[in-house]
Amino acid sequence: MSGERSAVDRECRRTKRIVRRSLDSLRRIGRIARWEVSRSAGTVDRKTVLVAVAMLLVVGAVGLSVADDGLGLADELYVVGVDGDDPYADVVAESDRFRAVPLEDVEISGDGTDSNVDVVVTRDGELGYVGENGEQAFDAFRDAIESYNENRMAEADDEVAAYPVLVTVSYQERDPLRPDGTTSPAESDGTDSGARDDSSTESSPDDGAAADSDGMTDGSTADSDGVTDGSSEPTDETRDGDELRVPDVGGTIDERTTTGTPSTLSPPFPFQSLLLAFLFIVPMNFVVQAYGSTIMDERIKRRGELLLVSPSSRYEIVGGKTLPYVLGLVAIVVATAVAIGGGPLSVAAVIPIALVFLGSTFVGAMLARSFKELTFVTVTISVFLTTYAFVPAIFTEVTPIALISPLTIVVVDLQGDPVTAGEYLFSTATFYLSAFVLFLLGIGIYREEDMFAQKPIPAKILDAITSQIDSISARVGGHWSPFVLSILGIPFVFAAQLLTVSLLFVVPDVVALPIMLVVAAAIEEFAKSVHVYAGFARGRFEATGRTAAVLGAFSGAGFFVGEKLTHLGQLVGLPELAVGTAAFGPELTGGVSIAVLAAVVLAPLALHVVTATISAAGARRGSIPYAVAFVVATLVHALYNLGVIVLVT
Amino acid sequence: MAILEVDGLRKEYGDFVAVEGSTFSIGRGEVFGVVGPNGAGKTTTLKMLAGLIEPSGGSATVAGYAPGEPAMQRQLGFLPEESPLYEEMTAVDYLTFFADLYDVPSDVARERIHRTLDRLDLEHRDRRLGNVSKGMKRKVAIARALVNDPDVLIFDEPASGLDPLTTNYIIEFTRELSDEGKTIVFSAHNLFHVESICDRIAVMNDGRIVARGTLEEIRDAHGGTEYHVYATVDASAALDAGRDAVGSRSGPSRSVAVSRENGRVRHVVPEMADVEAIREAVEANGGRVTDIRTETPSLEDIFLEIASDGPDGEAKA
Repeated sequence: MSGERSAVDRECRRTKRIVRRSLDSLRRIGRIARWEVSRSAGTVDRKTVLVAVAMLLVVGAVGLSVADDGLGLADELYVVGVDGDDPYADVVAESDRFRAVPLEDVEISGDGTDSNVDVVVTRDGELGYVGENGEQAFDAFRDAIESYNENRMAEADDEVAAYPVLVTVSYQERDPLRPDGTTSPAESDGTDSGARDDSSTESSPDDGAAADSDGMTDGSTADSDGVTDGSSEPTDETRDGDELRVPDVGGTIDERTTTGTPSTLSPPFPFQSLLLAFLFIVPMNFVVQAYGSTIMDERIKRRGELLLVSPSSRYEIVGGKTLPYVLGLVAIVVATAVAIGGGPLSVAAVIPIALVFLGSTFVGAMLARSFKELTFVTVTISVFLTTYAFVPAIFTEVTPIALISPLTIVVVDLQGDPVTAGEYLFSTATFYLSAFVLFLLGIGIYREEDMFAQKPIPAKILDAITSQIDSISARVGGHWSPFVLSILGIPFVFAAQLLTVSLLFVVPDVVALPIMLVVAAAIEEFAKSVHVYAGFARGRFEATGRTAAVLGAFSGAGFFVGEKLTHLGQLVGLPELAVGTAAFGPELTGGVSIAVLAAVVLAPLALHVVTATISAAGARRGSIPYAVAFVVATLVHALYNLGVIVLVT
Repeated sequence: MAILEVDGLRKEYGDFVAVEGSTFSIGRGEVFGVVGPNGAGKTTTLKMLAGLIEPSGGSATVAGYAPGEPAMQRQLGFLPEESPLYEEMTAVDYLTFFADLYDVPSDVARERIHRTLDRLDLEHRDRRLGNVSKGMKRKVAIARALVNDPDVLIFDEPASGLDPLTTNYIIEFTRELSDEGKTIVFSAHNLFHVESICDRIAVMNDGRIVARGTLEEIRDAHGGTEYHVYATVDASAALDAGRDAVGSRSGPSRSVAVSRENGRVRHVVPEMADVEAIREAVEANGGRVTDIRTETPSLEDIFLEIASDGPDGEAKA
């Protein structure tokens, strides 16, 4: 009984000790953070702060304005004389570029120079232009009519507007009885045409040609009339009986054509939501500049040395120095969300992006040897991450690849659509883990020997990895470090492969697949071997064949475990894409025997162990043998991937 | 009782060995000097003791703790060779922040900071550190090393690049700290300062400690006292006479150095017995001895001799 009591007491004391240490640690982080804020405030004068805030407000206001109304430079640029009950008045009302003037108020001078309108729509439906800007105004008015028609079309449900669109084209002889190329009434009826197609991915050339032909003919007729004589000839096609209709200038806007062909469809582009989502990213670029500078300052001026001899650990120092920037970014994100109408989901999606911005800037600032290098590093990071976050979000409504960017979640949220927990996890997990690993690597070299030394960047990277080897070795033994580090490399592997998939998405499969096979293999082999090479290069491992074999096995096994995390990709259906399959492997379909299933599960383990061992064998002998072994391992891996795809699909 | 112990400390950067097998111990309240030419390994040794650089081999303890442990850092005040201050802060803000990091209660910190700054005669305490003189910055850096009231102080070139007045002030202040019982590890290029305040000294060259002990012990090992005999006779005759005299007495193997100075001839010999032999030889040649002086080599003389000998010139460990 007393034994149990003392055990409980011991456990209580231990828990109290841990809690006390944690609180002490948090207190120190808080102190450093407070100091960082007050110190940084002293480095910037008030005028600079005011200018920066003003610039941010301007950027925000412009962004909001553009998202809401467009640039507005051409607002009411042209004046159109048109009656309010004329259908053309709707075109004028919809476009910001035009201002309507009732026909009774139109004044046209003899040569047209003193006219108060640029374009006139007569009560007979005739179009004309006057004055110096008349011709440009007329062209713009035609474009506005086209946009008006397309907008009306877009409002209607379009059953064939699904992306990506795969088209199988088969050429057929044109009916010689109709040399003008027009189709029979039945064929030219778009509804019938659409209904007749079994699949929306196929279209008869006649259908498409007919629709195009009709549309273009109509449109060009109208255009031609309008442009050549500049005034008068309304086309018959624009009229239906006595009712004046908006002329069909768009090619697909004939009332009869309710279905489109692939050539007439535009990918859905969530312009407004995307632009608003982008507003989250803009301030991050400012904040990371300040953050990178403060880290660099500690190094260049050697001021960080004195913090390192204090009782604070480097984790606490980095935590304290980073915390104000994290909180600042969170505040900016929340404020932006409030301004543009984003919800908590938008905030939750943007925060991991902010963390990766900070994490990569921290590592960059630890690696750079001068402020000039830091500028290069931060600009590179900003451009790369902005691209990585922004470009996939363009395809929010097109393909699941878009979900590799948390900004897609923001776009979806702004559009008011729901997001599943799996989708959120898929989008953000890579960012959270990458930020974590980046900070870990940076903290690894937050020490006197690396902070204040002018080492080459690759040497510092090896030092950063080696510090993690030391850290892991101290806890669980040296051989486990490749196992753990291979797992920690997974977020970068995942991000790099997803980025490659998104880049190759638009490339024809015949080109994309071989590239993807090799690149995906190279990314994985690098992640499995670079830490083993670092360990050998820094003397952490004994350079023997046996050690290389053991390390390779541990690294391969670790990667195998970590790789299973990438099966998150299955949740959002990436393997349905050909390049997705090349990157992440095919999804197994039903009816597979247990033996095959076991082989499929265990084969990757064997592959990773074998290829990691090949690389490790080279790494123990130096950089050039490592490079050669890495290439061999990559080729073996790529061949394996190819074999699996051929076998399973 | 040793408060700081170093055993076989080693640091290598790739193929380059910066510090090789340093071993010494320092008693409580002692002032221990570390001298040596540039690149000898002094700063690396001090930084290993401060926990800033991880040793490649060997071990060290400061106040019973390994370098880098938080408990050890609380016992240590480190003054690096340069004074990298946060120049946008005032002296008081800067010192208060570091006191906070060392968990010094704010009222204690306030009293300690102002007392130390009073002792260091520091003016303009509320002026930004970027706007004060180099000497004042150095004083603030010293005050920062004392903000946690440490038992052990490591001062790396505390007076480097300062004017003589400030230098003397800092050396005197260091002496006062020693009198208060602080253990001080002191590195300086100005050997006069080391000689004047250090109880014991380690001379480093090429990463190794080549001499170690009190100044007297090092002097004994590297030449000790010399006797300068000044004579009036012709230099060459006196030289022959002197050499014959020394040789006839089978004196020390060390040769007699002879030079001219203000029309006189100076003979430098290591033993008192040699002085008498030279006097006899001079008189035999019709001259007379005008002066005999005792000269003690400075630490600088010894340092130059050791440095020119290289690592193999170790006379005593």
